[in-house]
This record gives sequence, structure tokens and C-alpha cells, in this order.
Amino acid sequence: MTSPSDKDPGLLVHAYVDGELDPANALEFERQLAGDPALARERDRIDALRRVIGERFPPAPLPLALARRVEASVLGSRASPAASSLASRPSWRALAASVLLSLFVASGATWFVVRPSPADTVADMVVASHVRALMAPQPADVASSDQHTVKPWFNGKLPEAPQVVDLIGEGFPLVGGRIDVIGRTPVPTLVYRRRQHLISLLAIPDGNDAAEVRRAIAGYNIVSWSEKGVRYWAVSDVAAADLDAFARAFRVATA
Amino acid sequence: MAAANDDQARFRAVVLPHLADAYALARWLTGNSSDAEDVVQEACLRAFRAIGSYAGGNARAWLLAITRNAAFTWLAKNRSQTVVGVEDLEEVERREMARELPIDGNPEAELIAKADAQQLEAAIAQLPLPFREALVLRDVQGLDYREIAAVTKVPIGTVMSRLARARGRLIASMDAQTPTGKT
Repeated sequence: MTSPSDKDPGLLVHAYVDGELDPANALEFERQLAGDPALARERDRIDALRRVIGERFPPAPLPLALARRVEASVLGSRASPAASSLASRPSWRALAASVLLSLFVASGATWFVVRPSPADTVADMVVASHVRALMAPQPADVASSDQHTVKPWFNGKLPEAPQVVDLIGEGFPLVGGRIDVIGRTPVPTLVYRRRQHLISLLAIPDGNDAAEVRRAIAGYNIVSWSEKGVRYWAVSDVAAADLDAFARAFRVATA
Repeated sequence: MAAANDDQARFRAVVLPHLADAYALARWLTGNSSDAEDVVQEACLRAFRAIGSYAGGNARAWLLAITRNAAFTWLAKNRSQTVVGVEDLEEVERREMARELPIDGNPEAELIAKADAQQLEAAIAQLPLPFREALVLRDVQGLDYREIAAVTKVPIGTVMSRLARARGRLIASMDAQTPTGKT
């Protein structure tokens, strides 16, 4: 792998915005940014472009007719009774297998490297919890799409139950809830689904309001924000734009 | 028979979860939904034939690579006058790299944030294929550089420079459209 340090800042700024620089190069680049207002403006432009593309183009839904066509032509008419399998619940085992494989592949990457800060440690633990949940027989300890079932379940286990909303109207049906342990603290996690993908939403009460964070670790996208003293972490292998849409929908629904 | 069932099961586990992603990529590469459906159909047939040799790894990147190749075959066949084969991409790229990007008059981030979907879609559709696919894979579909390199079969450094070019052109196009843009 070539060292990025000999590269043009006009290229590096993209890798920086995409979170693909390793810690040493990211730090060096931040120093460069601080002393170069033109470069900083370029960073802002790229960031704005990335966001606006993500917002304007949420993933196109898979046409049902196409799903049927593929099932019929590839899997044959024999498989037609299961033609609805695309729209049905994902196979957790298959999901977990593909997730693990991609994680395995991605972990060989030297380009995206976790930056060393406390928030990153949490982000890593959040991703680890999500991956662990995908490997488990069920991604949720209480499996229910009914927010009035999920919230009381937390009430019996944690001092503070999170806000629970179903976002099926926005394309993110509630799957259930579970408790993850971040550091040594048990935290409530809500599980949502986007098509075949799962989204874990951890709600960590911390009393601080920190800035919104978006990043990717090992192929998982993460969006994190603070609301009313709770730090939310949404993690999933859905596209970044999807996860952004999810975060927006959740914030609107709980506002 | 048992082998056929195995293949079907593998196809369900490996390919079907990523069908929507394949369709999205095909749509951006062909520019419309019905062509994209044909491309995905063809890609699925290819994927099914190759499923026995699928050695594990990133299933989404694997399917997207097949989809991309199917799209290029389709484009070469149906739009040979405008789009060229995979091997010509390097040439397109070399030509495009030689073009200077405007340095002055770049729009502010606030203006970019206001771009509407139509304006963006038109600008993305104008991008030469190698730049468009890098941009779509990264900014629409959220793949990281390594995955994009695997899908498009170029080194990571090339992914970076294509992405930089694609974004640079989009940003420049927004500045050009400002006077007629929405407020």
C-alpha cells in the first residue's frame, strides 16, 4: 500500500472526509487543514456534496416484479411458492454469515483505520454489539414490533427505558429490543429493519450533548447524535444515506 | 439434484440480500429502471452460474462486480456509440484527467447543500462512466475504498483519484448552475 503522505492534498481531502486515512495521516492532514483556509473550504464543499447526495438519493426500492422475475428465472418455477421470500424476514443466519465474511475481508484493509479517541472506542463497542447480535439466534431479546411491548420490557431491566417508536411508516419497522453492554454499562438497544438489513440503535444516557458523528467502521455505517442527554448510536450495514434517513425519522418521531 | 438445491440455497443466502443494491447500481449505470431490471436479471443468471465457485468474502461487493460487468456488456451492446467497453475506461480516464478543473469560483458549501435531486441526478449522469461508478458506489451506496477497488478492479489510488474527479466536477457544475438554480 502506498503511503498517502506523498499525495496531493486535493486527493487526500477526499480520503479524509471519507474516513479512510490512518490516524497518523489524518492528524497530519488536520494540521494542514488548520493552516490552509482554501483547503478547509474544499473539505466543507466535499462534505456538503456527500451529505446532499446521501439525502437526495435514498436507496431505490427493489421492484417487486424484478424480485419475482429473478426468483422465477434463476430459481425456477419450483421455487415460486417462496417467491415472497425476498419481502419476508431475512434469514438471520445468512445475514450473519455475509456480515461476518465482509467484516473479515474489510479487516485486512489498511486504509480505514480507527482514529484513537474515546468516542471511537465507543463506536467500536457499538459495532461489536451489532455484529454479536447478528450472530445470535435472534438479534433482539424481546422480539416485537409493538412499542408498547418493547418499552415495558426495558422498564423491568434498566433504570431508564429508552424512547421507543415504530418507524414502519418510514420504512424502518421495529424488530425488538435488547440490552448491550458498553464498557461496563448496560444500555438499551432498539432493533429496526431496513429491507434485509438490521439497524441497531443504542441509547446511552450520558447527560452530555456532543456533536453529530458519521462514520464507517469495518463496513458498518454509524450515525451518532445527542438528544435530551441521551447519546444515540445507530449502526448498520445499510448505506450511509439509509442510515441518515433512519436517524432523521427517529429524531422526528421522538421530538 | 442435491447440488442444484445447494446452489439455490447459496443463491438465496449470497445474492438475494443484495439485490436492491445491484438494482440501484444498474440504474445509475444505465440511466433508467427498465434497462436496470434487464441488467440485474442478467447479473443474477451470471451469479447463479458462478455461485458454485463463490469462495466467500464480501457478498455485496461480489454481486456488485458481476452487476457492473453485466451493465457494461449491456451498454456496449445497446449504446455502443456513447459508451465503450471496460478496457476503454482507462482511456476515457486519461483524457478526462488531462482536463483542468476550475479553481476559482467554487460554490460555497451552503449552496451545494441546497442542490435538488434533479439537478444532482443530471450532473451525475453527465459524469464519464469510470467517475460515475466510483461516485455512486461511494456516496450513494456507501462502499468503502477497498470495496470499490474490488468491484471496479482498480487500485485504491485510482478509486481515490476517480472519486476526486467525480466530486470536483459535480461541485463545479453546481457553481455553473447557480444563476438558474433554486433559491
